Amino acid sequence: MDEILTREEVLHVADLAKIRIKEEEMEKYQKELKIIFNDIEKINEVEGYDDDIIIAPFSSEARLRDDEVERHIEIESTLKNVPRHSGNYIEVPVVINE
Amino acid sequence: MSRYLDKSILEINELLKQKKIRSIDLVNECFERIEENEELNAFITLNKEEALREAQALDDMEVDNVLFGIPIAIKDNILTRNLRTTCASHMLDNFIPIYDATVVTKIKEKHMIIIGKTNMDEFAMGSTSRTSYFGAPHNPWNTNKITGGSSGGSAACVSANLVPFALGSDTGGSIRQPASYCGIVGMKPTYGRVSRYGLVAFASSLDQIGTMTKTVYDNALLLNAISGIDLNDLTSADREVEDFTRKIGEDISGMKIAVPNYFMSDIVSNEIREKIESVIDVLKESGCKIDYIDIKYLENAVSLYQIIAMGEASSNLARFDGIRYGFSKENPSDIEDLYYGSREEGFGEEVKRRIMVGSYLLSGDNAKKYYDKALSIRSDIRTSFLKAFENYDLIVGPTTTTTAYDIDSDMSDPLKTFMDDVLVIPVNMAGLPGLNLPIGFSKDNMPIGMHIIGNSFDEATIYKLASFLEKKLNLDLCPKGGNSYE
Repeated sequence: MDEILTREEVLHVADLAKIRIKEEEMEKYQKELKIIFNDIEKINEVEGYDDDIIIAPFSSEARLRDDEVERHIEIESTLKNVPRHSGNYIEVPVVINE
Repeated sequence: MSRYLDKSILEINELLKQKKIRSIDLVNECFERIEENEELNAFITLNKEEALREAQALDDMEVDNVLFGIPIAIKDNILTRNLRTTCASHMLDNFIPIYDATVVTKIKEKHMIIIGKTNMDEFAMGSTSRTSYFGAPHNPWNTNKITGGSSGGSAACVSANLVPFALGSDTGGSIRQPASYCGIVGMKPTYGRVSRYGLVAFASSLDQIGTMTKTVYDNALLLNAISGIDLNDLTSADREVEDFTRKIGEDISGMKIAVPNYFMSDIVSNEIREKIESVIDVLKESGCKIDYIDIKYLENAVSLYQIIAMGEASSNLARFDGIRYGFSKENPSDIEDLYYGSREEGFGEEVKRRIMVGSYLLSGDNAKKYYDKALSIRSDIRTSFLKAFENYDLIVGPTTTTTAYDIDSDMSDPLKTFMDDVLVIPVNMAGLPGLNLPIGFSKDNMPIGMHIIGNSFDEATIYKLASFLEKKLNLDLCPKGGNSYE
């Protein structure tokens, strides 16, 4: 088994996570991610378990409530945490190809 | 300086009722102690002005419950309206929540006073609290040692008696492990017992808010206050809120207690195993029946945790996109640059690594190869625990494999942080309640803790045993190493 991930493998994984890797971090991630992936691989050696799965240890039946309008989040206070906005609109860079 | 905080909560409550002291005396005492012990770095944000104002306002009110006017610290991943909540991350270092977590609403209803937000590992990802953007907190027993994590600031401030109560969160041991390293009582309740609404999500099927205190009785009192169903959290359980102190003081003879062999294997230091064995002897002498048993797949818990927790984290932390709140890259060239740049700069190394691992594990065929398989083994771990509880009242063992280690020790092995939690992670996998109880000290005077695990929704039995041992062992849990808190 290879000791480290290739640069391409690290870039692929970073891309899935939408995280940019700095050049000086590359070597560290090549090493560390490989160690973690090797450890995770051990799960494929486990045998004898049932096929039943649990998503969470506890969840209740869907609880329904009356369909009533409630005041919950104020626009004004919400906008305080928004990095860029104009009026009540949250600004994002253009997302349509020119 | 007044010394009211050294008294038990019941004593303080009595003094408040008799109007011999006021809540503001307690609050002032907290801030004095925090300022004197700044080097512990236990807090990220203090709530001084507001806390004093609220305490003052209590003067004219009737003391209507045992927690009335008592100061409390809140881990900085639990939302507090209008009080900065950072998750110890650059990503949220200017974030002001616009609502209270349900647990915060509940403690405010009891008129408890929020002193501040405690230091932690960034986004609760770590076992040392060293991944905090604001620098690591220090262990009050020896300031050259880690507090453990991720609720390290909560553990440190309770241990050093800066604040009598703290809330923490526990995804893979993050309450119990630092409680053990800092010599305090830390409870991770049953999954579903306490609402997670307003807890910044890390791994939603494992996360649970819990209580960190000096004594077992106080811990049960605080859990009384924060438990219960919440319509804002579908995973909160529709269980009646019982009085968790109700079994404290009951006779423990005849209790059946199991010790998993894996918990006492050579992954645990000799010193800790010997201490646990000595407490087990106490239990036997007190009429408990002790058996050593096997629980399936405990040795796989760390691998499972990496898959399930990292997978859920990668999905939960996708919300940090630089658009609606949190750190945002300046002058992004396009939307992709905004995403990538904000996440690159906003997240620290450990968080980025975990998100990458999780994204990889859930991508394409990997979801089947790893994630589905992990969910199956998780189901078997839970079944194996529940089967044990058909024959036993409680399960015990050590909380950690070692005591707190040096704060500047090597962190280059990315698995080390998970191995610190090897004994506590299985309890999150199974969704069970677990508590750390201080039971003694190592040769270098660092606390050692016992992990007491209960059946689903049976926290009261854990408190029963813990309180018996607390009384029997009668330890002096005032830290003297490093600095004096006298």
